Amino acid sequence: MRLVKVVAALLFTAALVYVLNRSWGSVPPLGKFLDPFYGFWQNAEQGHPKSQELSLPGLQQPVHVVYDSALIPHIFANTTFDLYYAQGFITASHRLWQMEFQTHAAAGRIAEIVGPAALDFDRSQRRLGMVTGAQNTLKAMEQDSEVMEACNAYTQGVNAYIASLTPATLPVEYKLLNYEPEPWTELKIGLFLMNMAKTLNAGENDLEMTNALALFGKETLDLLYPDREPVTDPIVYNPGGWNFKPVHLDSVPAVVPALLTSVKPVEKQPKGIGSNNWAVSGSKTITGAPILCSDPHLGLTMPSLWFTVHLHAPDVNTMGASFPGAPCVIIGFTDSVAWGPTNAQRDLVDWYKITFQDNRKEHYLSDGNWKQAKKVIEVFRIKGQPDFLDTITYTHHGPVTYDASFHGDNQNNHFAYRWIAHDGANVLRAFYELNRAKHFDDYMHALDHFHFPAQNFAFASVQGDIAIRIQGKYPVRRKDEGKFILDGSTTNSEWKAFIPVDQNIMMKNPARGFISSANQYPTDSTYPYYIHANQWEYYRNRRLNRVLAGWDSITPQRMMQLQNDNYNIQGEEYLPLLLQRVAGKPASSEQQTILSKLAKWDYVNTADSEAACYFEAWVEELQTAVWDEMRNSPVALPLPSDYMTWWLLKNRPDLSFYDHQQTPEKETSADVIWMAFEKALARVSAWQEKNRNKPLQWAYFKDSYVRHLLRLEPFSVHAINGGNSNTLNASRGGWGPSWRMVVSLERRGIKAWAVYPGGQSGNPGSRFYANQIKPWEEARPMPLKFVNQHERLTKTAYFTVQLNPAKP
Amino acid sequence: MRFSLQIIVTFFTCLLLQSVLPWWSLAIGCLAVGYGFSQRSVKSFTAGFIGVGVLWLAMALLIDLNTNSILSERVAQLFPTKTVPLLYVVTILVGGLVGGMASLAGSLLKGGTK
Repeated sequence: MRLVKVVAALLFTAALVYVLNRSWGSVPPLGKFLDPFYGFWQNAEQGHPKSQELSLPGLQQPVHVVYDSALIPHIFANTTFDLYYAQGFITASHRLWQMEFQTHAAAGRIAEIVGPAALDFDRSQRRLGMVTGAQNTLKAMEQDSEVMEACNAYTQGVNAYIASLTPATLPVEYKLLNYEPEPWTELKIGLFLMNMAKTLNAGENDLEMTNALALFGKETLDLLYPDREPVTDPIVYNPGGWNFKPVHLDSVPAVVPALLTSVKPVEKQPKGIGSNNWAVSGSKTITGAPILCSDPHLGLTMPSLWFTVHLHAPDVNTMGASFPGAPCVIIGFTDSVAWGPTNAQRDLVDWYKITFQDNRKEHYLSDGNWKQAKKVIEVFRIKGQPDFLDTITYTHHGPVTYDASFHGDNQNNHFAYRWIAHDGANVLRAFYELNRAKHFDDYMHALDHFHFPAQNFAFASVQGDIAIRIQGKYPVRRKDEGKFILDGSTTNSEWKAFIPVDQNIMMKNPARGFISSANQYPTDSTYPYYIHANQWEYYRNRRLNRVLAGWDSITPQRMMQLQNDNYNIQGEEYLPLLLQRVAGKPASSEQQTILSKLAKWDYVNTADSEAACYFEAWVEELQTAVWDEMRNSPVALPLPSDYMTWWLLKNRPDLSFYDHQQTPEKETSADVIWMAFEKALARVSAWQEKNRNKPLQWAYFKDSYVRHLLRLEPFSVHAINGGNSNTLNASRGGWGPSWRMVVSLERRGIKAWAVYPGGQSGNPGSRFYANQIKPWEEARPMPLKFVNQHERLTKTAYFTVQLNPAKP
Repeated sequence: MRFSLQIIVTFFTCLLLQSVLPWWSLAIGCLAVGYGFSQRSVKSFTAGFIGVGVLWLAMALLIDLNTNSILSERVAQLFPTKTVPLLYVVTILVGGLVGGMASLAGSLLKGGTK
């Protein structure tokens, strides 16, 4: 009897340890996690960090790292290798978990961390060719010894940090999910770049457009989804000035005839995201020096997408935003120049319908021949479950993304994905050179290496030049090419040639004294190539150019205000039309009150605006009501842009789409606008009901948030600010200005300011985790301490870290 | 007296072990201490529970007070407990339960081999 008790007690203790040492679904291993010696408690950072010296294997010479009061590292190295080694080490010491998580995401490996919920996402990543693209990017970088040395040094630095981790210092997310970091590799740098490429360049709606073509016909299609909306303020206006011989293609790409497919495309980005950048020449500034502003709008995450860094070595002195996961500064400045990109929107994605010989899918048709397909079995590890195997078929176009086993339709169609990012490119070369650029020519040479995803690169220099170049690798498109699913069985549908890099759109020192871009249509109609994108921007660009044209004696502070500008051109255009159309409707007194509040609105989406709530709800409800045909369709269909909705309501008040499908009556545009108004009011009331503790103000109503990558609410932050996706301060929901930078290119020394929604530390237990949110909300970028000697920083240093080569 | 002594010995044994070994080393420590003191089952369990519970509470408090609960406030919201004091309670319970059970097993083991 006694023995039974002993065995039972021992077994129970062992079982308890087992249960508390592993995760159960989303519950962390409680024993391990709550243990104050090694668990999460250890991740809380205490007060002022001490300066320290570290010995690191592989380092060539000592590296001085000086942290300023914003936890920005200023890295001073004696060799290029040491510089990027230190960048890798320092970045990892603040952002390791994020670096690995984001590259795991690119590689379709999230299910192994979080479990089966991520399997569909993982499969889509691999079926879109993310890993292929990363491998090809690495191959391209391997041809370049300087870039490869940087990647190799960065990798060694990250791995030196991983090696220095103890169970106590492991980032808290690893503890929460109960796993450990794996070694960093150069391929992961390629994967990180693919993540960016996907965010910026994988937005397309070819499948939806194909369905729309089959359902509505070409005439309606051209009306609802024109190549460009009838509003013009292009990035580069140079009519008749394109003095080169363009590449001409005679062939016609073959569109699949009348195809209606029920394929459910994988999740896409919300519409209306984008970025602003601009530069004004010295003639328009108070100091006589150019000012450059860069303001990329992206999905906002905690930890932040950007990591501010200052890199100094004998051949380089540069500062700005870096990717936690790649060497170099991506948006920033040197002693002499500054640069910043916005997304060029260009369509560099196509879908091909594949005709297989039979069900074995070993051969497919191409110009009358049966070509051999390649099959790859992908293994997906899933936390808490057995592995999942997925066979992906590759054609020469690219991987077959959609088939019977993945988001397929009932006709057993196969669609292969062709994306410029599959080709791989040595894009880091562009940043490596920009980080060392001294003048305009260096900027031009650097950009020659930038092949994806296409960007509008703004530029300014202390020599007084300003420029913008719309750089990428663009297939020569024939009219309408790229809008619809193409016939993969004829090579006529394929990319035949690329636009020569010197024929890309660019502009230097224009007479108007400024350059700017906000994701709008790039140029005038005389540019000799067909340009297509699935969306252009219609509001921010006009506001920006209107303001810049009218300003003189500009100061950097005024530029910061402009980055935070909440003036809403959509409101200015849309609201008068709405109010006019509903003028005759029988409004209740409550409705009257709101209509008169709207009539008094100044079209500024300030944080405390009440009218903005009603206006935005109205426009959204209207968009839903007008295009119910698309939303309720069993097949995926594209939605016309907000701008086109307004334009059609204004100019085509008789469109059959205004008729609401669920009602027996035939609605007119005025009816549908009124219906949307009533729905908007109901929505605002419902919101007030749910948020009794909050005032009805735009900031609370729109709810800007910066969400942790694991979507953990306590690790996320909500911001209180104005703006929406159509204002220069393009902050809305989980999207917004991800990095705000202002650079004044003064000959006596460059002055720069920057802020981003987050903080330098990726650790939720650090006071630098979210400390920039407040200055970001208020558009108060912090001055960047840009110097050329580390001694000049030591007096004001927060703390310093000296990295020494470890003795072998 | 022996009871208080067992708590103190448990506290320091686990402190020592946990400084170098993973969290589950406390089970080995408590097993040994429980074996050594060879108390009645309830007493042995309670001594192990209190010894480890106090150790974990003290260590967690030390960190938390030094960092103004910067992390525990966020982590507490991840749990159904929501508040930091309740996070302490869960921490004590988890550590204490393992410590107590191991102590109990230790004392039984001694009795059993007699």
